[in-house]
Amino acid sequence: MTEDQTRKPGEAFFAVLLSVGSIAAVWNAYGISGFESLSSPGAFPMAVAATMAITSIIIAVRTLQKPADRHATFWVDVLPIPAAIITVFIVLYAIALRPLGFLPTSLIFLFVTILLLSRKGIIFSASVSVISLFFIYIVFRLVFSVLMPEGVVPEREILAFFGNLFGGFTK
Amino acid sequence: MTRKILGAAVAAVLTATPVLADFPAKDMQGIIMWGAGGGTDVIMRAVTPHAEKAMGAKVVMQNMSGGVGAISVKYTYAQKADGYTLLMGAENPQLYKVMGLGDVDYADFIPISMLARGVPVIVAQSDAPFDNFREMVDYIEANPKTVKFGSTGPGGLPSVVNAMLGSQVNLDVTTVPYNGDGPAMTALQGGAIDVFPVVIGAALDHINAGRMKAIAVVDTEANPALPGVQPIVEDYAEYATYLPWGPFFGIWVKKDTPEEAVTTLQAAYADALDAPEFQAFLDQRGFTPMNIAGDEAQEYLDRWQSVSSWLVYESGLAKHSPEKFDIPRP
Amino acid sequence: MMDAFLNFIIPWTDPKLLMLVALGTFSGIYVGAIPGLSVTMAVSILISFTFSWEVYEALCLMVGIYMGGVYGGSRTAVLLNIPGAPSAIATSFDGYPLAQKGEAGEAIGLSTTMSFVGGFIGIAVLAVAAPMVSEFALRFQPRDYMLLAILGILLVGSLSGDSLVKGIFAGSLGLLIGCVGLDPLTAQERFTFGMIDLWGGISFVAAMIGMFGVAEALIQLRYVDKTAVKQKLTRIVPSLKSVRKYLPLSLQTSSIGVIIGALPGTGGDIAALMAYDHAKRVTKDPKVPFGQGAKEGLVAPETANNAAVGGAFIPMITLGIPGDAVTAIIIGALFVHGLNPGPMLMIEQPQMFWFIVGCLTLANVFMLIFGLTGVRIFTKIVEMPRTVMIPLILMLSIVGAFAVNNSITDVYWMLGFGVLGYFMKLYGYQVGPVILGVILSTLIDENWRRAIISEQESLPKLLGGILTSPLSLVLFLAVVFIFVSQTPLWARFKARRKA
Repeated sequence: MTEDQTRKPGEAFFAVLLSVGSIAAVWNAYGISGFESLSSPGAFPMAVAATMAITSIIIAVRTLQKPADRHATFWVDVLPIPAAIITVFIVLYAIALRPLGFLPTSLIFLFVTILLLSRKGIIFSASVSVISLFFIYIVFRLVFSVLMPEGVVPEREILAFFGNLFGGFTK
Repeated sequence: MTRKILGAAVAAVLTATPVLADFPAKDMQGIIMWGAGGGTDVIMRAVTPHAEKAMGAKVVMQNMSGGVGAISVKYTYAQKADGYTLLMGAENPQLYKVMGLGDVDYADFIPISMLARGVPVIVAQSDAPFDNFREMVDYIEANPKTVKFGSTGPGGLPSVVNAMLGSQVNLDVTTVPYNGDGPAMTALQGGAIDVFPVVIGAALDHINAGRMKAIAVVDTEANPALPGVQPIVEDYAEYATYLPWGPFFGIWVKKDTPEEAVTTLQAAYADALDAPEFQAFLDQRGFTPMNIAGDEAQEYLDRWQSVSSWLVYESGLAKHSPEKFDIPRP
Repeated sequence: MMDAFLNFIIPWTDPKLLMLVALGTFSGIYVGAIPGLSVTMAVSILISFTFSWEVYEALCLMVGIYMGGVYGGSRTAVLLNIPGAPSAIATSFDGYPLAQKGEAGEAIGLSTTMSFVGGFIGIAVLAVAAPMVSEFALRFQPRDYMLLAILGILLVGSLSGDSLVKGIFAGSLGLLIGCVGLDPLTAQERFTFGMIDLWGGISFVAAMIGMFGVAEALIQLRYVDKTAVKQKLTRIVPSLKSVRKYLPLSLQTSSIGVIIGALPGTGGDIAALMAYDHAKRVTKDPKVPFGQGAKEGLVAPETANNAAVGGAFIPMITLGIPGDAVTAIIIGALFVHGLNPGPMLMIEQPQMFWFIVGCLTLANVFMLIFGLTGVRIFTKIVEMPRTVMIPLILMLSIVGAFAVNNSITDVYWMLGFGVLGYFMKLYGYQVGPVILGVILSTLIDENWRRAIISEQESLPKLLGGILTSPLSLVLFLAVVFIFVSQTPLWARFKARRKA
């Protein structure tokens, strides 16, 4: 076993959190149908949740026994600042996706993250984001007809307009 | 360039939203209740190209399966009532209320077209020790719990047919659940189950090839697709009260959709249904074309709901009583 | 026989059909490579798209996409550690480490060639033994599916990395995630907390994209300033010698692929994972350890998932029973085109069988050609600066997760799994077992329940059934053997014998 012999910052918390979650899962699984029968909808979830609870407690105990890694800090070794910032950005992106629509949110997200990460200037970030978004839109929306949230951009009307312009559907 | 696009966008918005004379002014969205490749999916994908031609607009279809179809119903219900979101579904929502799967069913939608319906047939393993319904009932009585019936979960067609059968005769069988017609019929051929009630179209080929045998047609008369197979009322006339009964497929839009859009859609799908290719397709799969809309469709839906809800309730499958939702007794 | 041959070469000689197969295979590779776009999706869109076409033309395009798509998933698995499709999950275990060492070109070359070999074996079995194999596949009872799935879940042992306990935890977590939603058998809510959005369950492709795509991208952020690995591109097409070296293994893994592909209810994803496990067990001294870039770990899943394509067609053509989701849709398409795919197809339209075999073979050849050309451009992806690639991966993950079910909830789940996966990776939990668990969850749960219901809830009767059926017994012994061989006791026993 070559497992780390020291405990990373936050590792103990994570392990305990998983144990708590697993125990909650056991309780929840029991609530599905109790010990009704071997074929009940809750039987398999209960067995699985019990396995989770047992293993997660073993892991938590072992983790707590390990000596803490004194040289590591959470914001450097576990969740470095850039990763934290980007995580916040993705969450914001996901939240804004439906109300604002796919095109504007994606454009802003790509532009801002590329700008922050690459530090190559506005023109570089803007052109990379526009070009890649263009291709993704073609593949997903036009070829595969995946209707991404439209939000504030009336996509279908625009597409219908172009369709009529090029003599697509005529009534 | 950007100004041109913006101009186009503004023009399109201005012309599209308020003036419904232009329906449809953009692509529509078709929400298919069941997964890709299933009965509902295939019917919808076969009929819609004809309707698209008639309307001169595209219907972008997507499958939204899950929760016995309830997820697609909830989704469509949450959209604007503008006629641009079509619900392409089967009979299942009519049982949601009594099954405890939510309060939204086809009462909250306007039927655009009831495309087709099917007739159930009871099939059994080809070497099962019974050949017709009476023999099956006798065999089950003599061998309680040993015969394995296939099912597709509460509210599915087999559960309702089983409830119907159980209302008149005593069926002490083991019910093994599968998650769809296809897997259950595979299991039947592999010997994991003995009997399975299924819509004729799905089993026709297997019956003709001798891989399973038809025990009885769940209808008041024999079916032209299955000559020689007796209807269930032949031995037990009592079943006639519930019949005809079977699954159906149709297209709906949310209630309060503008009249204009509804008429356009209804006309387009009525045309599409008449297309010879689609008729041939229905015929081949053993479905009966319906082509009804509006009040006539609503009447059919109400009767179906009343028969099925009371059936499942009386057999103990349902969570709630149909009375709670003012569903009249048949 | 002459008839068979004449139908076999139709797609090869008709220039239009030839083009369609080529087009299908080519686009299939890209559909497969992009996470979130699936072959199932592409083929179902094609039903309405090819509605007015001749049935042969439609079939050429669909078969091409299928073949190309199953292979295409390996691309992104090797290059970015994001499997483009579930059947490529196992490919990422050793493919990505190879790309990290600058051997992406070689890895892609090898996986392409091996996909070709596997695809070919699958087609050969389809052509020669279809009726036999489909009767065999039908004989699988619920208890056999259950045992097969348990065999699959034991893979956790070889995917756990350094800590078996953490592996078991991760595997169970996956199994639990697979249970979320309305129980398909009773419509009972499980772990839904009253939310309707959860009724349909958690899309496992969304979980996969989160745990592999987002988690990986977040981890890559720490190396944002490091220059990307320079890729060696000296050798792309593997030498005949190395192909011959892996031939015995690929024959075994292809057989696994054909059988699992032919079983209705299991497909390329499970086939690839089981093949990977098999390779790990039979390869005594890999040059590089598994998980760090072992070639055998690439050969096994790639042969198996492409062999599963031929396998999936076996019950479809002979009995009208789909071997997987894609063949289910092809059956629907055939109906729309006025054919009767069912047990009568082989009798009424025998030419169809050989035509499909011909299409598959042709698609397999195109897959090899397209797969081996353009590798240079593909490997450039890995050399792209991380500062641009990470935002793109993140956005593609979001679009992909949305595309699976057109559901914004899936996007949230995907992100949740992304963050969870990030911390799990950092604290020494492997994410492979989680995905394995999600894939196998329904298979175990449903078949366990069917099996025990069929025996009137009696465990002794179930065990009796297993011991008296030869097929179940073989599977049962395999489960017992693999389980015992993973316990510490066995390792001690082996060590003592060596000493």
